[in-house]
Amino acid sequence: MIDLAATFEENAMDAAAMVWRCKRTPVALRDVVALATTKARGIVLTEAEFLPVSLVDGLRGLAGVIPKPHDDELATADVGITEAFAGVASTGSVCIAMGRPLVTATSLLMPLNILLLAKERIVERPRDLFDEEVLNGEGLKRNIVFITGPSATADMGPLVVGVHGPHRVLILLLE
Amino acid sequence: MAEAETKSSASVTPAAAGPAAPKPDTPREVANKSDKNHLLRAIRMSLDIESATIRANTQHFNRGRYKTVGELPDYDELKDEARRIKDKSIANLPELIQIVKSSIRARGGHVFVANTAADACRYVLDVCRWRAAKMVVKGKSITSEEIRLNHVLEAEGIQVVESDLAEFILQLADEQPSHILAPALHYSRERITALFKRKFETSLPLDTGEELTFFARQILREKFLQADVGITGANLIAADTGTLMLVESEGNIRLASFAPPVHIAIAGIEKIIPTRQEMAPFMELLAPSASGQRLSVYTSFISPPINDPPFAMPSKPMKPREFHLVLIDNGRLRMRDDPVLHEALNCIRCGACLNSCANFQTVGGHAFGGETYSGGIGGSWEAGTGKLENARFSELCTGCTRCVNQCPVRIDIPWLNANLGSRLNHAEPPSLTKSVLGSLTNADQVDRASPISKMFFGNYHHFAKWGSRFSSIANSVDAGIPAGLRSDPEEKGNTSFARVMMEKWVGVDRRRTLPAFPKYTFVQQAQQIEPPSSKGRETKVVIFAEVFTNYGMTSRGLATLKLLRELGVDVVVSECVPEGRAALSQGMIATAKQHARMATRELDSYVNDGRDIVIVEPSSLSMFRRDFAHLLDSKERYERFRSRAFEPVEYVIRILSKAGRKAEEVFDISKSKVGQRLFYHAHCQQKTIGAADATVRLLTDIGFDVATSNVECCGMAGSFGYKKDFYDLSLAVGSDLFGQVVQNDRDGGARQLIASGTSCTEQLHAGFERKIMHPMELLVTLIEPQKESDKVTQDAEDAEVEADVEALKRSKRDASSS
Repeated sequence: MIDLAATFEENAMDAAAMVWRCKRTPVALRDVVALATTKARGIVLTEAEFLPVSLVDGLRGLAGVIPKPHDDELATADVGITEAFAGVASTGSVCIAMGRPLVTATSLLMPLNILLLAKERIVERPRDLFDEEVLNGEGLKRNIVFITGPSATADMGPLVVGVHGPHRVLILLLE
Repeated sequence: MAEAETKSSASVTPAAAGPAAPKPDTPREVANKSDKNHLLRAIRMSLDIESATIRANTQHFNRGRYKTVGELPDYDELKDEARRIKDKSIANLPELIQIVKSSIRARGGHVFVANTAADACRYVLDVCRWRAAKMVVKGKSITSEEIRLNHVLEAEGIQVVESDLAEFILQLADEQPSHILAPALHYSRERITALFKRKFETSLPLDTGEELTFFARQILREKFLQADVGITGANLIAADTGTLMLVESEGNIRLASFAPPVHIAIAGIEKIIPTRQEMAPFMELLAPSASGQRLSVYTSFISPPINDPPFAMPSKPMKPREFHLVLIDNGRLRMRDDPVLHEALNCIRCGACLNSCANFQTVGGHAFGGETYSGGIGGSWEAGTGKLENARFSELCTGCTRCVNQCPVRIDIPWLNANLGSRLNHAEPPSLTKSVLGSLTNADQVDRASPISKMFFGNYHHFAKWGSRFSSIANSVDAGIPAGLRSDPEEKGNTSFARVMMEKWVGVDRRRTLPAFPKYTFVQQAQQIEPPSSKGRETKVVIFAEVFTNYGMTSRGLATLKLLRELGVDVVVSECVPEGRAALSQGMIATAKQHARMATRELDSYVNDGRDIVIVEPSSLSMFRRDFAHLLDSKERYERFRSRAFEPVEYVIRILSKAGRKAEEVFDISKSKVGQRLFYHAHCQQKTIGAADATVRLLTDIGFDVATSNVECCGMAGSFGYKKDFYDLSLAVGSDLFGQVVQNDRDGGARQLIASGTSCTEQLHAGFERKIMHPMELLVTLIEPQKESDKVTQDAEDAEVEADVEALKRSKRDASSS
C-alpha cells in the first residue's frame, strides 16, 4: 500500500511546486498562509466547496485579502488562493474544479498560487479522476484542470519557471 | 553548445561570410519541399545554423521520455488502449462529428465543420467580424498553421497575437514551426536575444531565459486582457460531452480560453473520440511521450462555453461568453479512405517520433519537415492535407524504426514513409535508361519509374553479385587516383573515373569508402567447410545468407556458422537471395514484396525440416520480424517466419539456456585477443525488435567490461550514408556515436569496437581506423576446444580481417589526401 500523501509530496516537489503540511484548523491554516504571504499586496480567495467553509473563511481576515475583487484588481493581485478538488500522487498534480467564482483566476493570474488540498482527496494516478466511483464521479462532470507545478517554458533556451501562469505554486496539504 | 551556436550564426551573417558567400536560405524560402533542391538547401541551412540547438533540445526531450514512460507501470497496456480508442473513433468519425455537434450546441456553443482550409478561415473571420474584434490572441495551434489562419485575419486588419512563447518567436521571425510540439525548438537563447533586440526597442539586456520570458510575458499579459477573441487548438474532443482536452505548460491556452469573451477552438476532425472517460489513457501517455514530464503543467478538461465570466477591464466592458468549435476536414476524410494515410489519423501530436529520430535530432523540422508538419509522421500529414510532393522530405526517414516503439498509438511510421516514397517514385517520369535498368535487375514493373539511384540501391544484390564475381576489378574502383596526378588537386573525395561516374549516375558520394567485395562469397566459403556429423545434433538451424553478409562481411557469417556448430547445432547455409530490405528502403515496395516472397520460398524447405533461421544482418532480420507483416501474402506466412527468425547472439543464449549451461563456462574470456574492454554499438532495427540486449547480456556474463552507445541510429542507415545528397547529414548524425566511442576510451584506453550491423560498421570505419568486430567474431575466439583444422581457418580469417583494415586505411588516406 503506497503512502499517497508522501508520494504526492515527492512528485509535486519534483515538479517544482512547494508542499507544506498543515493542520486542518482555521488557526493553523491562517498562520501558515500569513507566513507564505507576508509581503503580499493583494490576495484573492476562492470559496470553499470541498473543505469546511469555516476553514477557508478564517483566511478572509488576513491582511491584503481583497474581499470582492474587480477584474482590474485580479490583474494586479499577487496571491491567489484556490481550493483543490483533488491531488494526484503519481504526478504530484493538484486538480481544481471550475464552477465557483474565481477558481480559474486565482489559479492562473497571480504570481503565487496557494492550493488548499485535503489529504484524503489524493488519488493514485490521473485516470482515477475519470472513474465514476472516485470522488462521486465529479471528475467526469466538472470542468477540471490538473496543475503540475508552476507555469514553465523551455522556449527561451533553458527551462524558465513562471510564464503566463503563476511563478510559484505552494500546496498546503491539510492533514 | 552556446559557443558552437554563436559560431554557426556568425558564419551566416553577410559580414562574417565574406563577399563571395551566397546569401543563406531562410526557413521560409525552403519550407516547401515539393522541389528536391529545397530539401537539400534546407539540410545545408539546418546543419549550418540550427543543428546544435535542435540536437540539444530533442535529445533532452528524448531522454526525459525514456525515463518517464519507464515509470508508467502499464505503458504497453495504455498504448494498446489508446490505439483501440483511436481505431474506433476513426471508424465512426462521421457519427462522432454529429454527436459532438449536438453536445456543444446543447450547451449553447457553436460548431462549424469546415471542408477546406479556406472555409475554416472564412468562418473564423466571420465570427471576428460579427464581434467587431480588433485583436485575437492565440494559443499554440498547429492546425491553425495548416490553414494559414493568421494571414487571413491580418489581411482583414485584425491583429493576431501569438501567445505561446515559441509561436511568439516564430511570428517575430516569420518562420514556420520546426517541431510539432515545440515549434521554435531550433532557437537558442542567444538567437532569441538577437531577434528581440532587432524587433523591439529596449535597453534591457535580455541575456537570460528569465529576462526574455519576463519581457515577453509583460507584452502578452496586456494583450490577453484586451483581446476580443481567444483562439486555441484542442488535443482531444470528447463527443459525448463536448469536452476539450487542452495540454500546455505556459498557461497561455488557459488564458486564451478564459480571458476574452469569445473562445474559438480549432481542431482537426480526427481529434474527436467517443467519450470523456476515454480521454484518460491519452492524458497519461501524452506528456511522458512528448516532453518527458509526468503530466504537463496544465491539462484542462473543459466543456465550453465555461461559466466563468470573461475578463472585463475599465477599457473593455463585459460581454457575454461565446464558444465556437471549428472542426477541420481539409483532406482528413480523404486520408480516412486511404489505406496508408489512414494510419496517420491516429497521431496525437506528441512528437516522440521526432525526438527519437537521429536525422531529426540533427536537422530538425526546417529540413525534415514541410510548411506545417515535420518529422517522421509529418510527411503523411503534408501529403494528406496538401500535395504528395510536399512530403518529399520524408526521404529523410531512413526506416531505422527507432520511432516505432516510441509512438504512444503504435503507428508504424517507417511503413508510412516507405509508401510515400513509393508513391513519389511512381510519380517520376519514366525513361528508357530506367526501363533497361529495371529490366536487368528484375525490379517490379511498377517500380521502374523510380530514380536510377534508388533502383541501384534497391537492387543492390545484383550489383553485389557481379562485384563479387569480379572482385579484384570492382574493388579497384575505390583505389582512387593519387593526389599528384589529379587535374584539380582541390577536388574532394575519391577521384577515380569509376567513382566519379558512380556519383554522377547513381548518387554514391565519392567521399565515402565503399565496402570491399570478398573474393569468395559467404555461401562459397561455407561450402568449403566440411560439416560435422549431424548425429546427436537435435537443434537445427539454417543461416539465411543475406546479401550484406554474403557479398560483404563474410567473416561474420563464417564465425556464426563455426560457433553454432561448436555449440552442437546442426547448421546449414541457405542460398543468397534478397529479402527486400534494400528495395523497401528505396520505397520500391512492389519489388520488396517480390524479394520477400523469394526469400521465404528459399527458406520454406528448411522450415519444413524443423530448422530455425539465424540471420546475421539485423536489418534483414528486422524484415522477418516486422516488415514481412506488410509484405507477405498472409498473416500465417508472416508468423511462420517471424517466430523462427533469430539474431545470432540471441540464438546462442537460447541454446545455452536450453542446455542449462552458463556463458562464463562456455566462453573463456582469458582467450580474448582484444582485451576485456569493449564498446558495443547495436543496430537501430535490432534494438526495435528487441534483439540487442542479448549481446550486452552475454558479453557481460562472460566477464567483459561492456560500454554501449546510446544513439538512436549511427546515421549510416544502409544506403543513406552513401548518397551524395545525404553524406554530410549522415556524418553529422554519426558524430554523436564517434563522440561516445572517444568518451568511453578515455579512462583505460581504447576499447575494442563491436557492432552488429554492416552499415554501422561502415559508419564506425568512417570515424576510426580500427578493427571492428561482430559479436560472433569475438565469441568464436573464446570457445574450447578448437580442432586443428578450425584453428587454421581461424588464423586465415584473422589475416583476412587485418588485410581489410589495412586496405581501408589506405583507401581513407587516399581520399583524405585529396
